[in-house]
Amino acid sequence: DEKEEGKETTQQWEDDWDDDDVNDDFSLQLRKELESNSEKS
Amino acid sequence: IETARIFDFEEFPAKDKVTYMYYTGRLEVFNENFLAADQKLTYALTHCNSRSRTNLRMILKYLIPVKLSIGILPKMWLLEKYNLVEYADVVNALKRGDLQLLRRALQQHEDQFLRSGVYLVLEKLELQVYQRLVKKIYIIQKQKDPSKAHQIKLEVIVKALKWLEIDMDVDEVECIMSILIYKNLMKGYFAHKSKVVVLSKQDPFPKLNGKPVGS
Repeated sequence: DEKEEGKETTQQWEDDWDDDDVNDDFSLQLRKELESNSEKS
Repeated sequence: IETARIFDFEEFPAKDKVTYMYYTGRLEVFNENFLAADQKLTYALTHCNSRSRTNLRMILKYLIPVKLSIGILPKMWLLEKYNLVEYADVVNALKRGDLQLLRRALQQHEDQFLRSGVYLVLEKLELQVYQRLVKKIYIIQKQKDPSKAHQIKLEVIVKALKWLEIDMDVDEVECIMSILIYKNLMKGYFAHKSKVVVLSKQDPFPKLNGKPVGS
């Protein structure tokens, strides 16, 4: 069990998460919002 | 009185070294020395008896906000394993660029974060969330029209924020954008008259990569 814990410590963090992916739900909705010109004055 | 003797850190029992690093690490968090805090708390985490979950959890409670503030995210399983799920939405907010979610998460767990003293550290993550949001707007624009993508109208950012139920006018957004530029979270300049941020064509959104904001 201890060995497993030791291995885990190196996999606890993510430093390369700031990717260019815009296919998640949030981004897709954001895109929709930005493309809608309905509110433009 | 003998205080002059210099002690060698390595001479102390492992248990005491971990305790020492935990407390001095916490102190560094409050002084906002995030690199020193990271180093000390990471020492405590890796040298702590891996079976004492309570201690590991105590260390992580401080190490996680420190890591977040230098642009490093904990994996979700870590939060679940040590029952630190109050950080989950903070992490999601950073990933998405969702300012509304960050504010909600801080509000929802306000008591907890205030009690452990990390509230102010977490509050400062807002800048990183703004950076992420503008970056997403930039990428979305780029996919539509690459030639104009590096020009972002402040109006567009206002619109995105309004969608997130955050009411800000163009001037306020300009102010936030100038902070991002000043803190080197964004590279570019303003075309003040036309209310446009012109982004640098090279690496417009520098990553923190383990460095604190604004250094």
